[in-house]
Amino acid sequence: MTAMKKIEENLRKEAKRLLEGGEVSVVLAYGRGYDENHPMPFAARTVEDVDSLVFNEYCTFNLARYLPKYPPKTKIAVAVKAADSRAVVQLIQEEKVRREDLVILGIPVTGMKDQKTGEVIDNKTTCNMANPVLYDILLGDEIHGFKGGSPYDVLAELEGMDHDARMAFWKKEFEKCIRCFACRKACPMCYCDPCFMDASRPRWADKSPTPDGHLMYHLTRFYHLAGRCIDCGECSRACPVDIPLYLFHKKLAKECEDMFQQAAGMKIEDKPAMVNYGNQDSDEMLK
Amino acid sequence: MLKKIALEKLGDLVSALMEKGPLYAPVKGEKAVDFQEITNPADVILDFYNTAMSPKFAFFPQSEDLIRYRLGKEATESEAVSLDAKPSVILGVRPCDAKSFEIMDRHFLGAGIIDPYWNDKREKTTIIGYAFDPSTAADPADFYNTLGISASDTAGSDIFMIRTDKHLLFKGITEKGDRLLKELSVLEAGSKTDEKTFEDKAKKGGEVKTRFMEIQDKAVAGKLVQVFNNKEFWEKATAACISCGACTFVCPTCYCFDISDETLFRDGVRKRFWDACMFTDFTLEASGHNPRPRIFQRYRQKVCHKYSYHVDKYGCISCVGCGRCTRSCPVNIDIYSIIESASKL
Repeated sequence: MTAMKKIEENLRKEAKRLLEGGEVSVVLAYGRGYDENHPMPFAARTVEDVDSLVFNEYCTFNLARYLPKYPPKTKIAVAVKAADSRAVVQLIQEEKVRREDLVILGIPVTGMKDQKTGEVIDNKTTCNMANPVLYDILLGDEIHGFKGGSPYDVLAELEGMDHDARMAFWKKEFEKCIRCFACRKACPMCYCDPCFMDASRPRWADKSPTPDGHLMYHLTRFYHLAGRCIDCGECSRACPVDIPLYLFHKKLAKECEDMFQQAAGMKIEDKPAMVNYGNQDSDEMLK
Repeated sequence: MLKKIALEKLGDLVSALMEKGPLYAPVKGEKAVDFQEITNPADVILDFYNTAMSPKFAFFPQSEDLIRYRLGKEATESEAVSLDAKPSVILGVRPCDAKSFEIMDRHFLGAGIIDPYWNDKREKTTIIGYAFDPSTAADPADFYNTLGISASDTAGSDIFMIRTDKHLLFKGITEKGDRLLKELSVLEAGSKTDEKTFEDKAKKGGEVKTRFMEIQDKAVAGKLVQVFNNKEFWEKATAACISCGACTFVCPTCYCFDISDETLFRDGVRKRFWDACMFTDFTLEASGHNPRPRIFQRYRQKVCHKYSYHVDKYGCISCVGCGRCTRSCPVNIDIYSIIESASKL
């Protein structure tokens, strides 16, 4: 794997070239935060900004999250790790960004670390792929022979529970929810405006933090991301009270893959599984 | 008044406090430590840096029922929820958080109207502060020194607790604190040596260094008014902000709330619950107009409320530098850095 320092160097070099040549008006990447272990998403707009770009093992953010907010036709370069690139692909499929407006700076990397715990982020909380699925420029050498285990390994325990135990598990986890909506806001696929939770007519869930409202919010969000979640794990890392949201997302992703033989955000030619119809589609759910 | 108890007898103290009423103390969850109402004395831990959520919930719970009602065909019956807080104790409040209660009092009690819900619980609660361990470096996000608070500040606590190698020392700070200390027969009286140890340890707390900058309330308040219209500055400072409410919900001095009626089959409750100025719908008007549609405007509101408007209205900055907003921010936005940059403009 290319050293992170080298990736940072390449990132700066490419960002400078793209901004100087006017190919893009903004480079979405990572910048300095209040210390080394806490970098921030950073949008470089000028050549001077490029010096502030960084890359290290704590640059966990999925920058695809910022793409839909730019006005159409803005030329954007975006730095993506593997899961992030899947988010970009998914956004292209959903017509939220246009392929021709993007310069995708791919980062092949493994061993990113959680900022809160310092632990290596692996297949437990993410898809754990090493190489971006789509890119224009690669900022490091492609990684070969990386075996990170199946992203669905972590589901064994949950799948072993019966209905009541599962319900009890989630109710207990949701009890912690403080409704700060960090999960929704960090998610690259949660771009609905307004989100159903912000609607007042009809009001879908209690505005105050009630257990029933928590179920309504999280379950609706989970299902709204079925076949769309690219398993980057941002929602769970963003959660200030450590709810393992990734578990539910992974379960739905696995079901979708089994039913439609398609994982989210892998190819721009794909159509999102839940809005596409094919004669060969599984009718398992109708039985 | 100084009292003490051997470290291994913490359980006895906890049990004695539980007999007096609800006790809130730090408990280790799966990952984070947080205040919880104690049901088992063994759950209380004192080896922690700071809790993930602030202790403001004790006086200002995330959700609180105000009125219960039943919609009738003709008339609606309603009943105000009575104020019946039990005398309770919060054990293990860090000095920056203890200070936050005094700041919140200015708003809930000192603004000409007394908030009965805050007041009821506040009056009946005894706060046992707990000095930060001077041998542990401050978290990089913390900046309570900037707000004039030290790792062993007793302000805001009724009783202040310091841990030594073998003992927990308790010093009464207020009358309420002294009263509780007197009632706790599990505690031994502190000797002259203990008093000296307490003073020494307290002094050592002053050596814990967090991030620090020289700020003066009125000057920073004025400066923020001056840079209010510097759109470029605010947009740049908040470019990464995803507009979630994590920073405000973990904050010990954020007090904004919403009120809503929630009815199910004619039975309903009017509640108040935490709201956040970071939310899109915080200022959304019935007409559809939103005076703060942009993220930078909402973040600017948060910073200016704490460091400018609060100074004008209540005479102090509404921040204690506990570092929670920075630590819990999914994208590491740091209010300290923003104030620092704004001051230099």
